[in-house]
Amino acid sequence: MALFRTAEIIKASKLPPEGVKLSRMVDAVYFLPIAYLGVLATFHMHFDLLAGDWDFWIDWKDRQWWVTVTPMVEVMYPGAVMYYFWTFYRQPFGATLCVTGLLVGKWITIVFAWYWWANFPMNFNMPATMVPSALVLDCVLLLTRSWMLTAIFGVWAFAMIFYPENYFIFGYSKQPLVADGQLLSLADYMGFTYVRTGTPEYIRIIEVGSLRTFGGHTVWISAFFSAFASMLIYTIWWQMGHFFGTSYFWVKGKRGALTRTNDVMIVGTDQFAVTHGAIPNSGLPVGTTLLAEGKP
Amino acid sequence: MNAKKLFKLCVIGSLGMATLGLTLVFNTSPASAHGERSQEPFLRMRTAQWYDTRWNPQKTAVNDEAMLSGKMHIAEDWPRAVVKPNRTFINVGSPSSVFTRISAKVNGTPMFTSGPMEIGGDYEYIIKLRGRLPGHHHIHPMLAVNGAGPIAGPGGWMDITGDYKNFTNPVKLLVGGTIDTETAGLGVGYFWHILWMTIGLSWIGWFAIRPMFLIRARVLAQEGGDALLNDPVDRVVAYAVLGGTLALVAIGFFYTDSQYPYTVPLQAGEAKIKATHLKSDLTVKVLAADYDVPGRALRMTLLVTNGGEGAVRIGEFTTAGIRFLNKVGVANNQDPNYPAEIMATDGLHMEDESPINAGETREIKLDSRDALWEVQRLMDLVHDPEQRFGGLLMAWDEAGNRHINSIAGPIIPVFTRASGV
Repeated sequence: MALFRTAEIIKASKLPPEGVKLSRMVDAVYFLPIAYLGVLATFHMHFDLLAGDWDFWIDWKDRQWWVTVTPMVEVMYPGAVMYYFWTFYRQPFGATLCVTGLLVGKWITIVFAWYWWANFPMNFNMPATMVPSALVLDCVLLLTRSWMLTAIFGVWAFAMIFYPENYFIFGYSKQPLVADGQLLSLADYMGFTYVRTGTPEYIRIIEVGSLRTFGGHTVWISAFFSAFASMLIYTIWWQMGHFFGTSYFWVKGKRGALTRTNDVMIVGTDQFAVTHGAIPNSGLPVGTTLLAEGKP
Repeated sequence: MNAKKLFKLCVIGSLGMATLGLTLVFNTSPASAHGERSQEPFLRMRTAQWYDTRWNPQKTAVNDEAMLSGKMHIAEDWPRAVVKPNRTFINVGSPSSVFTRISAKVNGTPMFTSGPMEIGGDYEYIIKLRGRLPGHHHIHPMLAVNGAGPIAGPGGWMDITGDYKNFTNPVKLLVGGTIDTETAGLGVGYFWHILWMTIGLSWIGWFAIRPMFLIRARVLAQEGGDALLNDPVDRVVAYAVLGGTLALVAIGFFYTDSQYPYTVPLQAGEAKIKATHLKSDLTVKVLAADYDVPGRALRMTLLVTNGGEGAVRIGEFTTAGIRFLNKVGVANNQDPNYPAEIMATDGLHMEDESPINAGETREIKLDSRDALWEVQRLMDLVHDPEQRFGGLLMAWDEAGNRHINSIAGPIIPVFTRASGV
């Protein structure tokens, strides 16, 4: 018994063997060079513009703003990309694709820009990871098959586990030390000891305000807030994926009136084939809606 | 593609190649400064007025300590266009972290975080450094002002010898033990990043080994396609990945928490620094000042009153970290290690160089003249939105005591020799 349903799926696609072979070539060309690198480059730029410094420096990784901002920014692209991959292909790896792509881009930057060019040690610029969060998000979408449930449960988990999944990478930097009679965390000291123009703490948004009244559980309050905001942001970006991923046509009626027709599933349908002449001599007028079996 | 299009592309390509080729023609020597000359003169002359800057020693080995020290006066004539120094930080301007900073004290107070500075206040800073990256480096003291950006002080050269591979930066932790900031947490960071990337890419790979796009799109468009694509084995794997991920995150978090039971959040306090003030027996009033553009000179007419008990002689005018001295200044205050490129030892001239006696009030015509005005791009003063100058006037009494006055006033540019009469 086969592990996957691949044979059944290929059969149902009604593609001849050369079509199947061609589709795999398209997979190879489209997925790695176009989809992956495209997401890597654009998501990296997007993330660095909105949350870059929180990820660049160890002395920006605080318990309030880092925890709040990073998931909110990092859930945006996955929202749109998950829509695209899920709606058109039922592929549940949109979030993981985005986040691993982002990290590949980040590590290229760390090695070549921060370490090789600017000479900072790599632990000073170590990026946060959200791969576990992305895996959870993708798994929730696959298991629930509902973007709404994914937004509620998956995105909530996506943001809530951000701090714990990074604590094992950055926990050491929260240890205290004393320098010149001042208590500092190791991260503070590293920010001080490695000379850069962005050193003083006022460059980042410092921890202030009423979160201190929550018994010192700043991290979890921030994570909760981030989770709720991320749900909304994810929904907006899912809808952006819908907006940009929707194909539509202007169909000219018998009396010359133009009507806009949306069809997110147009590619791969018999209607698409008829419209593009792939079923020649079918005798059907252009634009006729057909069922998958080819019956009008 | 027709011949016309092909020709167009060839022309565009040739232009691109020619542009790239031009870059080889120009001399591409390494940059040796940080663009401090590009900061506007009013910013350099009338904000932080740097003096007594010292780079000591000028040659350091990797791991050895050095010191950047000096004083700055926060000008009374702080420009309207610059945010007031309510939140400031004494920093080091260097090409990356060629030194690590061990400590920074301003008027004896440690400055790990920022703090307010007083307009008219005087501050002495001592920054201890440790050699990290070998090379010949241009180092500046720098005042970071929230809302205004960094204001660079004078730059001096410091050499670091040795090998970076030997550099360590050990610090003692409060809970015991020593940690090297160069390598702390690096192994753990690599481990978790590699682990999660491997799991993440494996998750994508799980779906990439099967037809990914066109075939699935065709199937999905059919009735019942969604159910067919819902492969049971994917659901099993998803449950395993979901459970495994959450378990691994929980284990990692609680393990790390047990490893570091005592932690502190990022600190965001404020350095409370008490200002001192300049001391001088002189009272100086700027009566007039003009900037001789072709002559590259700042000409001042000052009304100086000596309120002390002994005669004093003017010896130095310093602005934007650039020093203009006469014989008195050279005799009393010439630091042989001060960078020659920002010091004019014969740059200060007076019509009457006799001492200003106790109780005397005299109108003095002071002329600081040197090519440095142009080289250091202070001539751009004429393009500033506010035509005022500022600087520190230094004088010495017979006992060798220094008297410093911060002076400022409006300035009129003189564009041609004819109009400057």
